[in-house]
Amino acid sequence: MKITNGKDFWAGVMFIAFGLAFMLISQNYAMGNAVRMGPAYFPTVLGGMLAVLGAAIFFRAFVSKVAHPLAVFPFRLWFVVGGLILGVIAFYTQPLRDAGAMVQIAHELLAGLAIGLLFAAFGPRSLWVILFSVVLFGYLLKPLGLVLATGALIFGSAWGGHEFKVKEVTILFVALAIFAVYAFVKGLGLPMNIWPAFLE
Amino acid sequence: MEALFSNLGLGFTVALSLQNLFYCFMGVVLGTLIGVLPGIGPVATIAMLLPVTFTLNPTSALIMLAGIYYGAQYGGSTTSILINLPGESSSVVTCLDGYQMARQGRAGPALGIAAIGSFFAGCVSTVIIALFAPPLAEVALKFGPAEYFSLMVLGLIAATVLAHGSLIKAIAMVILGLLLGLVGTDVNSGVARFSFGVSELSDGIGFVSVAMGVFGFAEIINNLEQKEQREVFTKKVTGLLPTWQDIRDSAPSILRGTALGSFLGILPGGGALLASFAAYTLEKKVSKNSANFGKGAIQGVAAPESANNAGAQTSFIPLLTLGIPSNPVMALMIGAMMIQGIAPGPQVMTERPQLFWGMIASMWIGNLMLVILNLPLIGMWIKLLTVPYRMLYPAILLFCGVGVYSLSNSPFDVMQTAAFGVVGYIWVKLECEPAPLILGFILGPLMEENLRRAMLLSRGDATVFFQRPISLTMLLIAAFLLLIVVAPVVRKKREEAFVEA
Repeated sequence: MKITNGKDFWAGVMFIAFGLAFMLISQNYAMGNAVRMGPAYFPTVLGGMLAVLGAAIFFRAFVSKVAHPLAVFPFRLWFVVGGLILGVIAFYTQPLRDAGAMVQIAHELLAGLAIGLLFAAFGPRSLWVILFSVVLFGYLLKPLGLVLATGALIFGSAWGGHEFKVKEVTILFVALAIFAVYAFVKGLGLPMNIWPAFLE
Repeated sequence: MEALFSNLGLGFTVALSLQNLFYCFMGVVLGTLIGVLPGIGPVATIAMLLPVTFTLNPTSALIMLAGIYYGAQYGGSTTSILINLPGESSSVVTCLDGYQMARQGRAGPALGIAAIGSFFAGCVSTVIIALFAPPLAEVALKFGPAEYFSLMVLGLIAATVLAHGSLIKAIAMVILGLLLGLVGTDVNSGVARFSFGVSELSDGIGFVSVAMGVFGFAEIINNLEQKEQREVFTKKVTGLLPTWQDIRDSAPSILRGTALGSFLGILPGGGALLASFAAYTLEKKVSKNSANFGKGAIQGVAAPESANNAGAQTSFIPLLTLGIPSNPVMALMIGAMMIQGIAPGPQVMTERPQLFWGMIASMWIGNLMLVILNLPLIGMWIKLLTVPYRMLYPAILLFCGVGVYSLSNSPFDVMQTAAFGVVGYIWVKLECEPAPLILGFILGPLMEENLRRAMLLSRGDATVFFQRPISLTMLLIAAFLLLIVVAPVVRKKREEAFVEA
């Protein structure tokens, strides 16, 4: 048996995994019966259907006439392993509510690193650089304000592309920051602070 | 007939109010803008703007969002014709002949006929919506839970049949979408399903996050993987008006394109994309000189451009009458209605006639604005095409970021969207179309609810779906659709229709 269609192979694996995961997690909820369906009923049925379809796609990968290599996109296994290990550690070391601020921040950084590693495991460099700058924007918006968060997003995402010209990106940043402040905060009245919280 | 005129009269008084005219204008300008710019589509744009529509009244919000969708169909043709790169996926086929016309120095007439065809199609399909929506809504009002469940099954099956690519993967994506839609608190029991103790997930996965991650972020990353190369025919655009000969040549094509596009738009899974592909294929079949196609035949521009505009507009019919989205843009429109506290469905027309008829009337006004925006102001849009992508995508990301963040003013939504960006990238690489997933996602909770109610009413008898005539008919159509796609002859044709372009 030889895998001819790598895309079908991985798609099959993915659908089977999702189907089984939904079925398994559903077992924590009440099943009910056909008259009064519990919360587990519909997802269990759908999960089963998904797993069956996934299996069909999986087997098609061996008989398909369309040839695709197994390496469909860049993938770094070690990042996934590392991300999962850190994720498990972060999950089981959740600090108590009255823990100190430093502990809280350290734990958030650990969780962030775990998720970041999982993101960075797939695709080209631009994928994780760009998505990371967007996430950074989300987390910086409240503490640092719209202007600085925009800077992080623009410089970060531009760095993720093919060409990075400092002058060009700086002009872009200034223009977009001014636009964002006037359009979103002054114009639409979105509740965001423009400058870092400690300055206002 | 009289009712139609009084209804349309009501619609025009709503649509012609200063505020709604303004939002209609905003919508079509934005639509043209993103239509012209390759690499950002109406789905990502509407997802981006959803949070902004919180502050508007429902009618203005929907008028603006609708304008983005049909406006994008106009703008998309400009890019296709001038740089041989589809500004919008529904303009892919326009590249074939439109770009060739531009190379022969006939970019002007190509742009002109695209706009004229689109305008004609827009007017006709506005009338079609006004004529066909009310009787359809009347029928839908009689639907019980069993009928609704079967209708959704039919809609989802049709969406997979009409989507391109592998059928079995499309069905798997629908089911995955349904499952993802179930994440969050179960209405009947109050149990938070699949939330892993994350409090943000107990409200469910944000619809905007899924749509923006999969259609916005993933698209940007895919665009960046491909090197950009553009050759813009900017100087040669002179004389936008087509000659009489051009108009005589393309008039039948515009008529055929409009008819086919209007029909395909109504079907679940239809809409602008399918309409333009089908219209091009049809035109090539019926044309006497089909050898000219691909070498600058004006019919090859006129037909798909009329069809995609007609399809974009008639795809509002199932949304407005049944509350069932036929494509991802319509799924987002449902999202917009729900944000405003309007339950989509047949009751919208009777309970909120201003919204329903105002939106329809605004489509005609919007089309008129688009002709003016696209013909005399074409030079402005062409300038935009000279902006390189490396300047555009950070701006798009910023708007997306602000949009998602303001959904609930928390970074969690941003993180969630980025995660769907990763997943979306993987799906594209594995050739799993995300469009059916989005439809499943929005219909997941509705489907479960109607299934539960139908089974409760029938005391657990699953044959209820086959006993009620409307429900049975819909299930039979769904089964029939699946069968004909699996049949080898149709399968080949279906592949051809998408490959030909």
